[in-house]
Amino acid sequence: MKDSRLAIFSIMFGVIYLAAFYYDLALFRYYPEVSQFRWLRNDGLGVVILWYGWIATAGLASAAIAFAVPKKMAERLWPGWAWIIPTAAVVGMLIYERRWFV
Amino acid sequence: MIVVLLIAHGLLAVALLGAITHQALSVLTIAPSANGRWTFLNRFRGVDATAYTTPIVVLFAVTALGGALLYPQYRIDVRPALEDTQNVAANGVFEIKEHLVAIGLGLLPVYWLFWRKRNGPETAAPRRYLTWLLAFFVWWSFIVGHVLNNVRGLLP
Repeated sequence: MKDSRLAIFSIMFGVIYLAAFYYDLALFRYYPEVSQFRWLRNDGLGVVILWYGWIATAGLASAAIAFAVPKKMAERLWPGWAWIIPTAAVVGMLIYERRWFV
Repeated sequence: MIVVLLIAHGLLAVALLGAITHQALSVLTIAPSANGRWTFLNRFRGVDATAYTTPIVVLFAVTALGGALLYPQYRIDVRPALEDTQNVAANGVFEIKEHLVAIGLGLLPVYWLFWRKRNGPETAAPRRYLTWLLAFFVWWSFIVGHVLNNVRGLLP
C-alpha cells in the first residue's frame, strides 16, 4: 500500500488516544478559568480540560510510530486494518463510557 | 463573540453533515431500483463521491477546531450546570462526542488516502467503512451538540 505511513498514523491514533484518556496521559492541561496551559496537574486553578492534551499525545506518538516503522513493513500492511482497528477502539470506548448511563 | 463562533460552528457542521451523508450513501452496495427510476434516494446517492473528500477533510478539521475553541465555555458554564441538575447522561453523550471527534481527526489522513483516485480496488471496502465510521461520528456529534445547546428548553 502506497503512503502507508499515513495509514499507520491513523490506525495508531485512535488506540493511543484511548490509552492517553484511560491512563491520564495528557501531554498538557488547560485551565479555562484562568486561561492557562500547564504541563503538570495543578488543582488550585479550577476545572481542567484534558482533551487537547490527549489529542496532542496521540498525534505525536502516532507520528513517531508511523515514521519509526520500516517502509517495507509499512507497505505490507493490509488496508483492512485501517478501519477495523479504529472501529475496535470506538467500540472499546463506548463500552467504557457506559458508566454514564447505568 | 462566543455566540458568533457557536453559530459558525453549527453552520459548518450542517455543511459537513450534508457532504458526509452524500458520500456515505454513495458507497452503499445496494443497486439502484430495477426500473432505473431516479428516486430521491438515487439522486442523493448519485454524486461524484470523490469530489466530497477534500471538503469533508477540511470541514471536519475546521468544525473540530471551532468545537475546541468553544469547549472552555462549555466546561465552565454548561457542564457544571448539567452536574448540578444530576444530568449525568447529557455529560456522557458529550464525552462520547469529544472522543469520536478526536478519533475522527486521527482518521482523516487514511480516509483522504483511500479516497484518492489512484488507489486500486483493494481499498474499496476500507474506503466504504471509513466513510461510514466518519459519518457516524459526524451524526452523533451533530445531534449531541444540538441537543446540549438546547438542553434547558428540552429537558425539565
